[in-house]
Order: sequence, then C-alpha cells, then structure tokens
Amino acid sequence: MPEFLDRFAPSTRVLHWLVAIPVLILMLTGLTNFWPEAKTLHLGGARIFAWLHVLLGLGFAVALLPSLLAIFSRRAARRDARELLLVRLDDYLWLQHRALRAAGLRSIAPRVGKFNAGQKVNAALATTAIIVLIGTGVVLGVNFWNKNVFDVDLVAAVFRWHTVLSLLLLPLIVGHLYMAALNPETRESLRGMTSGRVRRAWAERHHDAWAERAREASRRGAGPDRR
Amino acid sequence: MSDEPRPPPGESGAPRSRRLLSRARFLGLLAGGAALGALSTRVFGLVDGWRENTVEDGRPVFDRATYRLTVDGLVARPLSLDYDSLRSLPAVRQVSDFHCVEGWRVPNVRWDGVRFQSLAELVGPLPDARYVTFHSLGGVYRDSLSLTQARLPGVLIAYDLDGAPLSRVRGAPARLVMPRMFGYKGPKWLTRVEFRDRQDLGYWEQRGWRVDAWIRSSG
Repeated sequence: MPEFLDRFAPSTRVLHWLVAIPVLILMLTGLTNFWPEAKTLHLGGARIFAWLHVLLGLGFAVALLPSLLAIFSRRAARRDARELLLVRLDDYLWLQHRALRAAGLRSIAPRVGKFNAGQKVNAALATTAIIVLIGTGVVLGVNFWNKNVFDVDLVAAVFRWHTVLSLLLLPLIVGHLYMAALNPETRESLRGMTSGRVRRAWAERHHDAWAERAREASRRGAGPDRR
Repeated sequence: MSDEPRPPPGESGAPRSRRLLSRARFLGLLAGGAALGALSTRVFGLVDGWRENTVEDGRPVFDRATYRLTVDGLVARPLSLDYDSLRSLPAVRQVSDFHCVEGWRVPNVRWDGVRFQSLAELVGPLPDARYVTFHSLGGVYRDSLSLTQARLPGVLIAYDLDGAPLSRVRGAPARLVMPRMFGYKGPKWLTRVEFRDRQDLGYWEQRGWRVDAWIRSSG
C-alpha cells in the first residue's frame, strides 16, 4: 500500500494558485476601504492600496481568460473542475448527514468522492462571487482612471454590488484558509495543493470513494492526469 | 471532513447525554443566529453607509468653548463665529446625494446648515475676491472653489447630518457641502473660509487631482 496518493495534477494546482494568490491580495487591498488610516496613504497623490488593487484587478481580469484556456486544455484540470461542480445524490446525503450529526442525531456517512458537498458549495459560491467581482471590478477600474465613461449613479450601484460580493467572499476565504492550514482534521489537504500528493490514511478518512479509485490508479501506475 | 470516530458502545446507547448535547447545540445555533443577525446589520452599514477618508493626523477634536469659524480674506466685514453663532444664522435644510470620487454614494443625505451665499452676503466679498479656500481644523486638509461655484444654491456650511449634529468622524462641528462635486471638495472639521484673488490648490489637487471635480450624472 502506498503511503501517499496523487491528488492534484500540476494543471489543477496552477489553476488554484493563479486564482488564489491574486484574489487574496485583492481581498486584502480591498479591505483597506474600511481602514481610514490605510486607505489614504499615498505617494504623490496616488493612493497606494487603491492603485495596487486596481492594477492587480485589471491585470487579473485581462490575464484570466487566456490562462483558463491554456489550463483547461489539460485533461486533469477539466476533470477536477467537473468533479468540483458536479452535484450528485451523495452530495445531498452528505449535507444531510452533517446536519443530522450537528443536531446530535445518528447518521451514517455516505461515501465521498474527490470533493465533498461542502467543498462543492464553497466552490460554487466562490466562483460566482469572483465572476461578479471581476465584472463589477472592471467597471470600477475603468472609472478609477476616467470618471467620464460611466454615469455616477451606475458606478455607485456597481460599487455597492462589488462590496456585497466581496463581503460574501470574505468568510468563504477565511473558512477555506482555516480548513486548509489550521484545522488539524483537514489541513492535510493543503499538501495536495502544494506537492500534489496527500497521505493515503487521510484520503481514506475524508474521501473514501476517491481514495479507492486513486489507490487503484496508483497500482496501475497511472499518474493523476490519466485517472 | 469526516466522521467522528464511532462512540464506544456504552456511550452510543445513552440517549440522555445525546439529548443534552443536542439541546446545547440548539442553543448554540440560536446564539449563532443572533450574532449573525447583529453582524448583518453591521455588514449592511458597511455596504450602504458612509466610509471615512482623512489625511489629518487623527481626527481633529472640536472644542465648543474655543471653536471659531473665521471668514476672512478679501472681504469688507471679516467674521469670527463661535459654534452657537454659526447655528443661529439663517439655516436651510437640504437633501442631496453624496458622491465620493472612489465610487460610493450615500443617497438622500439630509443636511442642515448655512448657505455659502448667505455667509458671503454677511461678509461682503471685495471685487478682487474670485476664489474661496476652506480650511480644516487639523491644519492639513483644505480645498477651494471659485466664488461662482461656491455661490451655487446647493453649497452649504453644514452642521447637522440627518437631523443630528455632525459626529467627529463625519467632520464636527461643520463641513462644506458641494453636492455637484465629489466629496473631496468638501473639507470636514471646517474652521476657516478664506476669500482670495487666486485659487489656492487643495490637498489632493496639489497632488494632481482634478480642481473642478464635477459629478457627471444623467440624473
């Protein structure tokens, strides 16, 4: 029995960090909006955090589509994305199982594939939020340079939705970071996103159906791209 | 996420302790829901309310005993008003949207204060007076308008916001309100109105921002 199982191919890891790093920096620079002492820090009239936020945001928006096309030319990334967004009956049963357990009732866990329903809900919400944030952010980015393109009331409405979605995304990110880096039960998963492999024992506890498939694949000598 | 380890047989057959746990969790859920409700009002405040911008070293403190609003420069009758005298001048109430250059807006803000035009009539600008500079208490921030812009009907020296005296954060005791331009044209913690022959560039305009920050709106 192997000690480790291949979890994420390079293409999936690149996709994850390509989104995660800019989004994290955008969230942090964006949050300075609620920190008066930080938001007006400026170099010759150019407010530092606002500029960083707008430049990185517009760069991210422009670079994202070609990057996605390149990454999704890889089968492993397509497959992981499909697994993450596909909803099965077991996902509903898993959520019900967690709810019953939280209420102190007895429940038998359904089998869990590569991603559990919690991860899928998080992914769907975060993806939606990020798409809307990019769309509204582009309008605000253009308005940052030129105030004559959009009507001021349109800008205000867009600004509002940008704020709403960022405040929805914030707890998702915080929860994701907690599960990936701090929570002792789940933090093994971070290794999957860095080295690409996870401990077999962890996988069998948390993703039993997937672990079985991965074990089988590793026995056949197949890498993550061919599973 | 996974199953908790299966409880040993003795425990799993103890319904009383399980009910107790579930009641604790139920109360926990209630408390969590209440906290979430309280948090959501905070979040709505973050979304729709005022945001703060200041370059002063801390927010200037307004002392009612020593505060003066000085109106001077190229005027026939310079004035120095204490807080009560400012409030006793003929007042107007105005509802206008506040637009920040950052993109956010506070709709339908209710201001009470003195029209700039009334103040100008009191002091009598000299023929050379063409511009007005508005100074903040902290001594760092100021901004300016042309006399023509400042005489537009919506321009106020405001001391009440939505029916209550301005808070320290919002610029107590008075701030300039120029609803047709972005908010950076309206200094908070207003302490001096200075009539000049040439335009004195404001804090941000010295750093390249637009001098005439008109709001473009179809509304």
